[in-house]
Amino acid sequence: MRTQEKDLRLTVRSDPYLLASIRSLVRGWLESWNVSSEAVHQVVLAIDEACANAIRHAYEGRKDRCVELTMHAEPEYFEFQVSDQGVPCPSECAEYRPLKIPDSEDLRPGGLGVQLMYEVFDEVQFCPGPTIGNCVTMKLMRRKRGI
Amino acid sequence: MALNIERKVSSDETVISVAGDVDLYTSPELRKAVLEAVPGAAGRVAVDLSGVNYIDSSGIATLVEGLRSAHKHDKAFVLVTPSPPVMQVLELSKLDNVFEVRTTS
Repeated sequence: MRTQEKDLRLTVRSDPYLLASIRSLVRGWLESWNVSSEAVHQVVLAIDEACANAIRHAYEGRKDRCVELTMHAEPEYFEFQVSDQGVPCPSECAEYRPLKIPDSEDLRPGGLGVQLMYEVFDEVQFCPGPTIGNCVTMKLMRRKRGI
Repeated sequence: MALNIERKVSSDETVISVAGDVDLYTSPELRKAVLEAVPGAAGRVAVDLSGVNYIDSSGIATLVEGLRSAHKHDKAFVLVTPSPPVMQVLELSKLDNVFEVRTTS
């Protein structure tokens, strides 16, 4: 993959305190591409969820590990990657289950973050390592979105 | 951005006003405030979200927990004037019709 002028690669400590800074950086990057404010909010949310999953699940809350985020622009799409060196995500947690209006019986907290990533992006691919680490790749098709 | 939480108790309602960003870092604080307020509340539990700039799935999960706890204690649970970012995430999560929403405080 050829590196483009505005591409960004960032390594951040796995501390929930730093999520606000990551969001701010992602927001700025998207705004530099004139992405609409509603789409900016959704993409920021989905990337925040991916980073939060790395911290919460892959690193089980440990704050001294590293989360890596890359943002890459092609004429056809934006591609975002979040990777970690933590516990590989079980396949059932990475499955797409279309969100539906819950009734009070199946209203339960949790499990929403991954589904929000699927709702926001045109393509989401989870690649857990065989023994360690995860990489999630999220694509936003630009023409379809008018960006 | 830090989270600011205020609690106002009246005879028929406990209002929890939230301002700032609700994310993985700050949502435990909101969870504590909501789950502590529910059992002893005199009437409704209202969470004012007008000052929330950002909410993630952990914040939404906290609101779901609050709603479930309120139902368990036979109390109404209302979201007051959710800000546009909150409404957007509730809609994206298909949960906008699950909560009772009041648009004036």
